[in-house]
Amino acid sequence: MRVLLIEDERRLAENMVAALRESGLAVDHAADGEAGSHLAEQGVYDAIVLDLMLPLKTGQRVLRDLRRAKLNTPVLILTAQEGKESIVNLLNAGADDYLSKPFDLGELLARIKALIRRASGVSTPVLVVSDVELDTAQQTVRRRGRPIDLSPTEYRILEYLIHRPRAVVSQQELLEHLYDFDWEHHSNVIEAHISNLRRKLNVAGAEPLIETLRHRGYRLRQEAAAL
Amino acid sequence: MTGSRSITRRLVVTVLVLEFVSALALISAIIVHERDVQLKAFDSSLIATAQSLMGAVQDNEDEADDVMLDMRSVQVGKAAIFRVEDERGRVLGSLGDLPPMEKPSSAAPVFRDADVNGRKYRFLIFHALRIVDPGKPSGGVRHSITIIYGTPVRHVWHEVVEAVRFFAIATAVLLGITAIVMAWLVRKGLSPVHDLAREAERITSRDWHFEAPESAKSTAELRPLATALEVAMARLQRSFEQQRRFTSDAAHELKTDLAIVKSSLQLLAMRNRSLEEYSKGLALSLEDFTRLESTVQKMLTLARLEQPTSSEESSSAIYSCSLSDAIEDAINQSQPLAKFRTIDVSFESKADAKAPLDYRDALLLFSNTLLNALQHSPDGAAVQIVLKVGESKAWITVRDHGEGISEKAQAHIFEPFYRGDPSRSRKSGGTGLGLSICKAICERAGGSIEIVNNHGGGALVTITLPAEPLPSALQASSVSLKAQ
Repeated sequence: MRVLLIEDERRLAENMVAALRESGLAVDHAADGEAGSHLAEQGVYDAIVLDLMLPLKTGQRVLRDLRRAKLNTPVLILTAQEGKESIVNLLNAGADDYLSKPFDLGELLARIKALIRRASGVSTPVLVVSDVELDTAQQTVRRRGRPIDLSPTEYRILEYLIHRPRAVVSQQELLEHLYDFDWEHHSNVIEAHISNLRRKLNVAGAEPLIETLRHRGYRLRQEAAAL
Repeated sequence: MTGSRSITRRLVVTVLVLEFVSALALISAIIVHERDVQLKAFDSSLIATAQSLMGAVQDNEDEADDVMLDMRSVQVGKAAIFRVEDERGRVLGSLGDLPPMEKPSSAAPVFRDADVNGRKYRFLIFHALRIVDPGKPSGGVRHSITIIYGTPVRHVWHEVVEAVRFFAIATAVLLGITAIVMAWLVRKGLSPVHDLAREAERITSRDWHFEAPESAKSTAELRPLATALEVAMARLQRSFEQQRRFTSDAAHELKTDLAIVKSSLQLLAMRNRSLEEYSKGLALSLEDFTRLESTVQKMLTLARLEQPTSSEESSSAIYSCSLSDAIEDAINQSQPLAKFRTIDVSFESKADAKAPLDYRDALLLFSNTLLNALQHSPDGAAVQIVLKVGESKAWITVRDHGEGISEKAQAHIFEPFYRGDPSRSRKSGGTGLGLSICKAICERAGGSIEIVNNHGGGALVTITLPAEPLPSALQASSVSLKAQ
């Protein structure tokens, strides 16, 4: 899952980026409204954290332009301003959630994850596909009750695939949503991670969970996902 | 409403009293005049009757050629009293009780007032000559007749009262009408006051908008009040809004700094970390915390400086702070930054002066101004500080060669938390309180500070302070501190 953080306060942004990355999310950071708006409108983010007081372009305008571009990316607003009115206005203008500064970092992470979850129609932190359970809060994966030890990238690939059931997910899409600009990435990296993931998820007597469609991408097995 | 004074009532009462007094004066004049007229008429009738009495004195047709009073053709007034005597004191005829009265010696008729049985009478004493048988060769017999005739004067007063009563009634009616019309007129005339009050009543701490109603503005007497109210309200609104903005900006600033500190610590606590990570995280947190501290410190400084000086304090303002020393200290303080940016800071002064400032405030003033100049200077540029001393003032100019200030920024540059760029970005460092603090220090000392763009580019800060020139031995000293 890839998150865009638009925040001009350098130290705060640094801390948030570090925290989001540690919780298994790919993060891009924009330090002003214009850069933020530009990035947000690429449509590759699963959630956007938006500060209101930004240089060059205010958070309100970034949000308005995003919604005008028909992008439904969930947006969490950060505000240091008082007054309920502006919050009501923002929610009405298409924001999905808000936090006021100074916020709790743990709460911010939980809210972002909840936003991502809800955007794909899931309401609990534990995602279940067939006999696989993925706990987004703990970042743990179990198959048939047995814990499976995944690397952070493998975990993120699996999480993303579970969030897009039945859909064919291309390598390009995985790259876009799993890595931020700070990563060195190539599509063959994805291939390597997928094969590792397959191997680790493999349990004797069970169907392989991830299907490869040549030249198109990956998807969770129909029958498995249907459950 | 016992304590309140009504202009309407006072006006009406004043007018009525004036009107009443003039009516009284008029009536008095009428009384005097009427009495005069009536008395004259009365006296004439006394004379006329007395003369007809005289006419009634006839020859007695006796030996002594005496005279008698023939009353047949004489009509005397009601309740009249008279007595007719001849020269020997013989009473020819009388009516009523004549009060004793001395007779005048002169022949001219004389009027006398007297009381008879409690009634006021006016008498005419009249001497006349009656010659009996003037045709006789002896020339006839001369009789000197004295006639005293009087009637009560009451009916004179009756006439006067009659005449006055009309005026009195007319005046009373006029007073009544005046009272009603006045009350109505004054109330109507004062309606702009009520309009103004109603408009003023609408002012709340949230809505300061005040526009004096047209009715008040078009009333000459109310215009100054209405205008003064408008101006005062606008001023209050401005300062109130400034306060509100300051509070909101301060809250924003503090919350942001708090958010940084909190997130730094929470990030550190998210999971177990290595000793190195912890120490690095703690160092960063401490840095963040120091910034929060400095923001709070600056806010407190500004709050202290903006507190009105007590009269006691301002009267004892001592011209104790050497401007030259403070500027040199400020330059020394900013040396590390200047060195780092390879900016050359020069200071030139022909004379020193003492200003009524606390030394620490003066240092803060100059170091903030200098810091601002350094922040807006490109690397390797120069900053020039010049101190000029006049008779009771000193001027300090700080000139940089940066980008200068925009026209838009010029109006707001001394407002708290205002940062030159619209972003309010903190990139340039500082909280946006530095120049506000400078302004507060200058104004507290009775001076001023302004920023203009230099002709050759860059900004020029001019600080004007009240100062006493120092007869210093170091005259024409020029200090130049090279930053490199």
